[in-house]
Amino acid sequence: MQVVARGLEAIGRAVGNVVGILYQAGRDTIDQVIRNILPFMAFISMVIGIILYTGIGNIIAHTLSPLASNIFGLLLMSVICAIPILSPLLGPGAVIAQVVGTLLGVEIGLGHIPAQYALPALFAINPQVGCDFIPVGLALGEAEPETTEIGVPAVLMSRLITGPLAVVIAYLASFGMYAGH
Amino acid sequence: MEIAARIAEGFIGMFQKGGTTFVGLVTGIIPLLIVLMTAVNALVRLIGPERIDKVAMISSRNVLLRYLVLPFLAVFFLTNPMAYTMGRFLPEKQKPAFYDAAVSFVHPILGLFPHANPGEIFVWAGIAAGITKLGLGLGDLAIRYFLVGLLVIFIRGLVTERITAIMWARRSVPEGQSQGEESTSAAEAAPAVETGGAAFASGEEA
Repeated sequence: MQVVARGLEAIGRAVGNVVGILYQAGRDTIDQVIRNILPFMAFISMVIGIILYTGIGNIIAHTLSPLASNIFGLLLMSVICAIPILSPLLGPGAVIAQVVGTLLGVEIGLGHIPAQYALPALFAINPQVGCDFIPVGLALGEAEPETTEIGVPAVLMSRLITGPLAVVIAYLASFGMYAGH
Repeated sequence: MEIAARIAEGFIGMFQKGGTTFVGLVTGIIPLLIVLMTAVNALVRLIGPERIDKVAMISSRNVLLRYLVLPFLAVFFLTNPMAYTMGRFLPEKQKPAFYDAAVSFVHPILGLFPHANPGEIFVWAGIAAGITKLGLGLGDLAIRYFLVGLLVIFIRGLVTERITAIMWARRSVPEGQSQGEESTSAAEAAPAVETGGAAFASGEEA
């Protein structure tokens, strides 16, 4: 009898534990949606609303779309974003990448940019990822001050090579995707 | 009066357009995102950070694990920005390269696992919204973004490690000897492996 009771208790405790974890996961998720995702959606919606309504969209369609519809334009975009002085300025919160990405998304949706270019564009708008955060990121990895001193310029210079390279790889990898659109 | 009314209408219209966009984003992205993020968050909690630490220690040993597997595991389980703490298992000279690889993966992962960096989801979702609008599926783009992302972080890890090594060597060599740069950087590369092993061993003790 006692064995059964103990077994039941163990099962109950294990289930309670798992349910607790699942519930906490849900709580974390809702927290992140309210804190991070919804505010950004509000901001992005406002920007898109203004752009679509005022006709700035047409200007973007005429300047950004031709740039983003061929590999050389995308390469140029990635080189600019990867310039070691600019990249830390463009990095914070990935706001620039998110806004430019959304603008390109609107243009893709309108058919001004071929769907296949979505893949290289994802890399072209983002060679500066984390360039603002190198000292903090290295500190989180418990790096010595000396490492940070070398690591910051090393990453920034590396991006000048790997930024455009990523666009080329993505371009090659985009063949056969959404063919005919 | 009529002009004023028209201006007011235009003003409100601008925000109505934004409101429509907002509703589209909320109903189109958030429901799936919430359920998916809950599932993955639960999985991460069930596995626990201690086990990830153990895998990380093993992963620091070779180049393929270091700049491919470790950044993925770090970003998937610890998410942005805690992923970079995994750098503590690596020797000093490889920390910048690991950071470069890890930070470069916080967006390519979003198409499949948005829990890893929900605050910056629009790097992915902005462009993806255009594909959705064309009536095309996102799976193809998401998986290619993910795979190309893995390849790119691996290359970034290698390139940054190389650049770090060169800069490290150049700094420790007195200025007069800069002509012998090639040979010193080659000579530096060999001890770098040894110190790497030593730093790893001390990391294990800790």
